[in-house]
Amino acid sequence: MAEVKVKVQPPDADPVEIENRIIELCHQFPHGITDQVIQNEMPHIEAQQRAVAINRLLSMGQLDLLRSNTGLLYRIKDSQNAGKMKGSDNQEKLVYQIIEDAGNKGIWSRDIRYKSNLPLTEINKILKNLESKKLIKAVKSVAASKKKVYMLYNLQPDRSVTGGAWYSDQDFESEFVEVLNQQCFKFLQSKAETARESKQNPMIQRNSSFASSHEVWKYICELGISKVELSMEDIETILNTLIYDGKVEMTIIAAKEGTVGSVDGHMKLYRAVNPIIPPTGLVRAPCGLCPVFDDCHEGGEISPSNCIYMTEWLEF
Amino acid sequence: MTQAEIKLCSLLLQEHFGEIVEKIGVHLIRTGSQPLRVIADDTGTSLDQVKKALCVLVQHNLVSYQVHKRGVVEYEAQCSRVLRILRYPRYIYTTKTLYSDTGELIVEELLLNGKLTMSAVVKKVADRLTETMEDGKTMDYAEVSNTFVRLVDTHFVQRCPSVPTTENSDPGPPPPAPTLVINEKDMYLVPKLSLIGKGKRRRSSDEDAAGEPKAKRPKHTTDNKEPIPDDGIYWQANLDRFHQHFRDQAIVSAVANRMDQTSSEIVRTMLRMSEITTSSSAPFTQPLSSNEIFRSLPVGYNISKQVLDQYLTLLADDPLEFVGKSGDSGGGMYVINLHKALASLATATLESVVQERFGSRCARIFRLVLQKKHIEQKQVEDFAMIPAKEAKDMLYKMLSENFMSLQEIPKTPDHAPSRTFYLYTVNILSAARMLLHRCYKSIANLIERRQFETKENKRLLEKSQRVEAIIASMQATGAEDAQLQEIEEMITAPERQQLETLKRNVNKLDASEIQVDETIFLLESYIECTMKRQ
Repeated sequence: MAEVKVKVQPPDADPVEIENRIIELCHQFPHGITDQVIQNEMPHIEAQQRAVAINRLLSMGQLDLLRSNTGLLYRIKDSQNAGKMKGSDNQEKLVYQIIEDAGNKGIWSRDIRYKSNLPLTEINKILKNLESKKLIKAVKSVAASKKKVYMLYNLQPDRSVTGGAWYSDQDFESEFVEVLNQQCFKFLQSKAETARESKQNPMIQRNSSFASSHEVWKYICELGISKVELSMEDIETILNTLIYDGKVEMTIIAAKEGTVGSVDGHMKLYRAVNPIIPPTGLVRAPCGLCPVFDDCHEGGEISPSNCIYMTEWLEF
Repeated sequence: MTQAEIKLCSLLLQEHFGEIVEKIGVHLIRTGSQPLRVIADDTGTSLDQVKKALCVLVQHNLVSYQVHKRGVVEYEAQCSRVLRILRYPRYIYTTKTLYSDTGELIVEELLLNGKLTMSAVVKKVADRLTETMEDGKTMDYAEVSNTFVRLVDTHFVQRCPSVPTTENSDPGPPPPAPTLVINEKDMYLVPKLSLIGKGKRRRSSDEDAAGEPKAKRPKHTTDNKEPIPDDGIYWQANLDRFHQHFRDQAIVSAVANRMDQTSSEIVRTMLRMSEITTSSSAPFTQPLSSNEIFRSLPVGYNISKQVLDQYLTLLADDPLEFVGKSGDSGGGMYVINLHKALASLATATLESVVQERFGSRCARIFRLVLQKKHIEQKQVEDFAMIPAKEAKDMLYKMLSENFMSLQEIPKTPDHAPSRTFYLYTVNILSAARMLLHRCYKSIANLIERRQFETKENKRLLEKSQRVEAIIASMQATGAEDAQLQEIEEMITAPERQQLETLKRNVNKLDASEIQVDETIFLLESYIECTMKRQ
C-alpha cells in the first residue's frame, strides 16, 4: 500500500503573482513596508520564494531597499526616476544613489569608491557617463583646490564648498575684504568724530558715537563698492575683523523686536576706539625687532658692538 | 637669576661703582647668600677690599645681611634692586614734575648716596641750589626742609630701619651684626629739627679740599663743634611709592587714550585719593563714593555733579573695566580695578610688540586668539578673513617665537596626529615673562653699544678734555682772545663733527634704555600682581 502524499499547492504561488502583490502593497504604503508586513499579507508563501520575488523587483529597479532602525524597508521607486535610469546598469544606479544622498555638499570620488566598493577605473567610467547624461556635475571645492566634489546637476552647491561672498572662483578676495574693512572703519571713525565734537553731555556723546550693524550694512550697500549682494552677517564678520584689529569695540544691547536691525531681541553696536597705549618702549629700540636677537652676544659674529641695525638706527 | 639679568646687573654695577664692587656683587647674585670669608675666598680678593665693597653695596640697599644660627652673618644680594638703578632717572624726573627743582635734588642725593640723614640732605641740596642761583642769592635751609617734609608726607621718602634702642640692660655680648627694625608708625615721622642756615657757595679754596675726605662718611660736619641733632636717623627713597605713581600714571593715560580728558582726570582724582589708603599690591582700591570724588576734584574743573555721575557710569560700563561700581550708597561707590588695569596694559604691550615685529595681520590673529582663548587653525582663517596660506604661515611664526602655544586634544588614545585637535592659545603670563627676558637682554645690548662707542672715540674725548682744561686755566690766568682761539683750533672741524655725532649717539642710546625700562616696568608689575594673586 503506497501512501499518497498529497502536496498541497497553495494558491498564488506563481512568482509573478507574488511580485505584483508586493508592488500593490508598496503602493498602499508609500513610505515603505517591512518584511514583516509582506509576511503578514501572504502567510502561506515561504521565505525563499518571497526573497526571490523581492530580489527580482530590486534588480528591475522597481523597488528601493532602505534600512531603518527596525529592519529593512522596501519602497516603491519613483517611476520617473526609474525611467531615467533605464539605460544604465546596476553600478551606475548605485553611484547615482550615493551622489544623490550627498545632497548639496557633494561627495568626493574617493568616498564614492569606499561606499560602493567598485574599482577606480569603473568609477571614473561611470562618472564620465553620468556627466555626459547631464545627471551630475563636478564642483571645485574651495578648501582643497585639487579636489572635485560631485553633486546632482540641478542642485545649488553649498556655501561651505564655494566659500560664500568672499570667494570668487575659488579665490579668496583679500583686496575686497581689505577695502570693506577700511570703509567700515572710516564710517565708524567719522561717526565718533562728529559725536566728540558735538560737546554735549557725555552720555549722549557716547551713545551717538555708536553705530548698529544695520546702519553699517546700509552704508556699505549704498556705497556700492560690492558687486555681490552682502548680507548683515557678512558685514558683521567684517566688523569682527576690525575688533580683532583693535580699532573697534562692540556692545550688545537689548532691543525691541520691531526695531530695524534687531536679531532675536538684541542689537550689536560698534564704535571706533583708540589704542590704550602708544607703541611700547621695547619696539623703539632696534633690539626689539631684531631677527637675529638670539644669536647676538658680545664677542660673537653678531654683537652689539658691530650690530648693523644699531648703526643704521643711530644714523637717523 | 637668568643669564640676561646677571649680565645686566654686572654692567650696571660696573658703570656705577667700579670693578671690585661689580665682582663681589655679581658673585653674590650668582651664588645666593654667603658669609664674608667665603666671598673673599671664592672671588680671590683680599678681605679688606671685600669689606669695602660690601660696605658700598649695603649703603645702597643692594645687599642685605642676616645673622644665622651659630653667629654666622650671611650677605645676600637683591638682583631686582640692582635693576632699579636703570630707573633712577625716571624717579628723579617724576619728583621734578611734582616738587620742582628742590624735590628733584633731594631725591637725587638720596638715590646717589643710598641713605642720608635729613640734615645732611638739606645742607647738600641747599649748597647745590645756591650754586645755580644768581650772585648774591642763597637758598634757605627752611625751604629745603619744607620740601623734604612734604616728600615724607606723601611717602616718597621713608626712614631706614635702624638699630633698636635696647631698654633692658642686657649684659651679654653684642651680636655680630645688628638686626635693624623699623616701626610702622615711625616710618614717616620727621624728627623736629631746627635747621637754620643758608646754602654756601663752593669756593675754590683750601677749605673745600679739607672738607672733601670727610664727605664720604654719612655723618659729616664742617663744623666739628656741633653734634648732628638727628644722628642715626637715615632716610632712603621709597621706590614702591614711585612705582605706585608710575602705575597710576599709566592707568590715567590709558583712560585718556580710550575716552577723553575729563574721564582721565576723574580717574586721576580717584587714584590720588587712594594713594595712602590702599596698599600697592591690592587688587582694588578702597570704594570711593561719588560725593567724595566730587569734593576732591581739582579746583579748575567745574563740572556739575550730574555730569560727574554720568562720567562715572560711563567709566563703569566701559568694556575696559578699569572702574567698577561696588555699591549705591553715597551716590554710588566706585572702585578702580588695579589688577585688571595692569593685565590690560600688559596685554596691550604684547599686542604692540607683535604688531611691530610681525605686521598688523599677525596682530589681528594674535588678538583673535586672545579673545577666543582656544581656537583651531581653520577657524582662525575664517574669523580673521585672511587667506589660508598666509594665516598658517603667521601662526607658525608666532608659535616659533613663543608668543603662542598649542593645546592638543586627542580623539583617540594613541594621539595620532591626523586624529587630534590642535588648538592655538596665548598664555599671557608666560609670554610676558619671555618678553621681559628679551627686554633685559636688549638693555644690556644698548649699554654695551654705548660703552663701545665711547671706547672707540676715547682718544678724541681725552683730547677734547685736555683742550678744555687748558682753556679754563688760561681764562683763569687772564689770557688774550687770540691765544684762546689758537687753542680751540687744536680740535679740527671733522673732529668736532665726530664729537657731535658721538654725543648724539650716546644720548640716543641712553634715551632708548629708559624707554625699554618703561616696558620692563609694565611687564614686571603685571607679573608681580599675578603671582601674588595665585
